[in-house]
Amino acid sequence: MKRWLQSPWLTIRVQLALGVFFVAAALPKIVDPPSFAHMVYNYRIMPGGVINLMALVMPWIELLCGLALILGIWTAAARSIIAAMLLTFIAAISINLARGNAIDCGCFDPNPRPKSRAERLDDMRFVIYRDLGMLLMAGQLWYAARRDD
Amino acid sequence: MNTRRFLLEAAALIAAAVICALVSNALAARERKMALVGFYPNAQKVPAQTTTTAAPVAAPPVAAAVPAVGTAASPPPPAPATETVAIRPAKTPAATPKPADISRFAVHTDKPFIEIHYDDVKALHDAGVLFLDARRTSIYEQGHITGARPFSVWESDIDDKVRKLYDERPDEKQQAQPIVVYCSGGDCEDSHMLAQKLWGIQFNNVYVYKDGYPDWVAHKGDTHTGSNP
Repeated sequence: MKRWLQSPWLTIRVQLALGVFFVAAALPKIVDPPSFAHMVYNYRIMPGGVINLMALVMPWIELLCGLALILGIWTAAARSIIAAMLLTFIAAISINLARGNAIDCGCFDPNPRPKSRAERLDDMRFVIYRDLGMLLMAGQLWYAARRDD
Repeated sequence: MNTRRFLLEAAALIAAAVICALVSNALAARERKMALVGFYPNAQKVPAQTTTTAAPVAAPPVAAAVPAVGTAASPPPPAPATETVAIRPAKTPAATPKPADISRFAVHTDKPFIEIHYDDVKALHDAGVLFLDARRTSIYEQGHITGARPFSVWESDIDDKVRKLYDERPDEKQQAQPIVVYCSGGDCEDSHMLAQKLWGIQFNNVYVYKDGYPDWVAHKGDTHTGSNP
């Protein structure tokens, strides 16, 4: 099991998949920052003054880290930033689930179709599981890198 | 792994992202550009959750009167008290069409906006009151209430538009004229945010069309497409 988890065969596929996920997530937000700012606002966590800046910068961090993983450059830094972002997303969604604030996560589409409150809450639970899955992928990359160190 | 090298790479990635973000925002088209520092007074206030669905329908107006604190000159408070009212005219026989009487839509300096429903919105529209569409410009162009101007709160030129509106209506009497703002209804708050901005610069007679554009369309109100009001 340990050997399989650290195998280059698995590592390269996980790295590419995680990179593609993040590039795919970043592009719609980069194309339409005001809509993503609206999504960030809906989380009701960030102070109003930093929402726009966050909506502008975060998608570019996602894009550059995703590209770094795909191209195999600066992978340690990229996977660490991605893991930190995933933890942040999970915490943000969990906080809103706990306080019953039904929101669209804005993860892959800053212009989602209108949904009911129940649909949004279901989506939020799914997003937590999905992000946990991606966090496991980042964990595999970190575990495999230990072999190389 | 060399820690210093790792930190440098991480810092370089983030710095590159910041530069890319600033450059792309500087080069973005007007409707995609944003002010770097946003003004969202209620950014950390969790809204009361409702069970509204995606396509809101007109709810019967609820009469209420909730006093709120604040003056016209003070900046908008973080959580303004609002009310949803039905402002009914006295019933008169409708023999010939008359210009709509909007005298009942009086100045309310103590709160940024009053939420109203279709009947009142229609009366104000018929009277030629200024309508502002707080949705994104791209959505506005797909269809808006006839005569409404695009005033998206998420786009960088919103402060310029608000300032220009103030220049158009510099004296107190003009600022006391009713203004209706709307967005997409449901849990959309863009119209409330715009109303707060307007209240912050002395527009004391702003009404939020709570059920928004979908409700207007459902009532077959006059609409217009394209970038012109």
